[in-house]
Amino acid sequence: MNERNERIHGVACTFRQVSDVFHAAEQVRDAGWKNWDVHTPFPIHGMDQAMGLPRSPVPRLTLLGGITGFITGCLLTWYMNSYDYPLIVGGKPYWSVIFPFPVIYECTILFAAFGTFFGQFIFNRLPHHHHPLFDLPQFSRVSDDTFMIVLEARDPQFHLDESRNFLLSLGGQEITVIRD
Amino acid sequence: MPHALTDHWKKFLVAGVVALAVVWCFAFNGVSHDDYRQGLSVLVGAMFWISILIGMLMLTMITRVFDAGWAPLIRRNWEHMLIALPILIVIGIAPLAFIPASRHLLWEWTNAGHVLPSGHTVGADPILQAKSWFLNENFFLARIALYAVIFGVLAILLRRWSFAQDTDRTAGHTHRLHAVSAVGIPLSAITLTMLAFDCLMALSYHWFSTMYGVWFFALSIRLALAVTVILTYKLSNGGWLDGLLNQAHRHVLGCLMLAFTVFWAYISFSQYFLIYTANIPEETFWYNIREIDAVTGLKSEWWGVSMYMIFGFFFLPFLSLLPYRTKIVPGRLLTVAWIIVAGALADLWFNAVPRQLTQADLTKFPEGFTVAPFLTSSLFLDLLAIIGFGAVVIAIFLRGASKNETIPVHDPRILESINYHE
Repeated sequence: MNERNERIHGVACTFRQVSDVFHAAEQVRDAGWKNWDVHTPFPIHGMDQAMGLPRSPVPRLTLLGGITGFITGCLLTWYMNSYDYPLIVGGKPYWSVIFPFPVIYECTILFAAFGTFFGQFIFNRLPHHHHPLFDLPQFSRVSDDTFMIVLEARDPQFHLDESRNFLLSLGGQEITVIRD
Repeated sequence: MPHALTDHWKKFLVAGVVALAVVWCFAFNGVSHDDYRQGLSVLVGAMFWISILIGMLMLTMITRVFDAGWAPLIRRNWEHMLIALPILIVIGIAPLAFIPASRHLLWEWTNAGHVLPSGHTVGADPILQAKSWFLNENFFLARIALYAVIFGVLAILLRRWSFAQDTDRTAGHTHRLHAVSAVGIPLSAITLTMLAFDCLMALSYHWFSTMYGVWFFALSIRLALAVTVILTYKLSNGGWLDGLLNQAHRHVLGCLMLAFTVFWAYISFSQYFLIYTANIPEETFWYNIREIDAVTGLKSEWWGVSMYMIFGFFFLPFLSLLPYRTKIVPGRLLTVAWIIVAGALADLWFNAVPRQLTQADLTKFPEGFTVAPFLTSSLFLDLLAIIGFGAVVIAIFLRGASKNETIPVHDPRILESINYHE
């Protein structure tokens, strides 16, 4: 059946032209690959769609953080000014939504920023101190004049020889097997 | 070859002139009967569009200064519209200010014989005397003229060099416009602040807020963006932006609308918050007459308007604009734009209309005044004034589009703008 070798990270393939790597990415997407990536020296407009990437899920954690912060700010000001140590300041009520609004607002912003910052770490799986691709001599050229598509071994479709041939059929230049 | 849409400019001009003639007739009839409210309709209608045009002027200069790559395609439409700004000050604000009868009715501080709820006259008001270095009629009229001149010169310069680039293909125009905008932004910031002070804040001259200028700026940008969304939606369905306006342009406009919705709320709340916290009578009365019926002491119609602004003009657009899809689906973005336009109108009403109307009979009116109500038939005259001034602005816009390129074809960033990507 599938000759998946656990020590293989995936297959990398280099391209020389933007249009080549762009159309190759579209075909990989259409073939239904899930665990794969494109590495380029600069952003290529439209690559998100060519790869079929969904929107980042980070904004959900931002919203969650914001709502948590809003509730925290409300509870914080209510507990301190109205419950634990009721105190009249400037003839204002013990608690209303108006006078502590700067506190509530700042808590909302702070927790939303936490949600964004840590959400980004969670969804990017950071910190990540090493990656098998860094061992690849060709990978340094991806920050210069080469484009690269990597099909990862953890994808259910991965099969060493078939994936290699698939990449060749897309117009790839140099195929390399990446080992963990 | 001008676009077929531009042929309609004469119809809009005729419609605008007819509507404004009706509004001015009502206004002068009101003035001759000592009723300020119809004159206020002219002011509200003019300020609504002046606010939109000031927002577009600021956006034009800001996108110039920051060399915004997405902007040229959309900015050309602002440039077509900009020249209406000085014209509206001349045909909308100047007659109200320069004709003594309407000036004395609308701006009570210019009428020394006007009796205040306290029983004193404006002429004997020590608060006005302390402010008279700024609030005196000659300086006031000079300022109104100066606003038209400053905005006029900026509009002319921003348009001239941008249009010149279409024919002579010189990149130097972009640098010149960059320089004009760098000077124009602080200049316009001061001018729009003073304009907001004179045309809205001075309607209630005891009251003062140092945040008023920035509130007016926030409102102007919100309105300008909403009108831009509506305009570009029309122009991309059978107009000259057909097939050019893409998802990324809508996304950037949606993001800016969201940002300035939050900014407007921040400024409006802060103004209320500071006055609420400090609790000084010269400041709090302004919010009191917008919340409490002076006769019954109960919540008034204006309280309803302020609640509408909190929920309909902040929470509704804010929560609607949070999801990504609202900013890219044309119909949804258009709906939010209309919500913002409606809310901005409520905000203008809230700032311009309520005023203390002196009542001498203290048995019936314990505070010595009543507050001008919200729900009156004059609201229809306000809407007619907005339609009238709007039709004139659209006529000027379409005429500009018929005389010059509708797309800045030789702007150095036009390709970047057309192919703009998120």
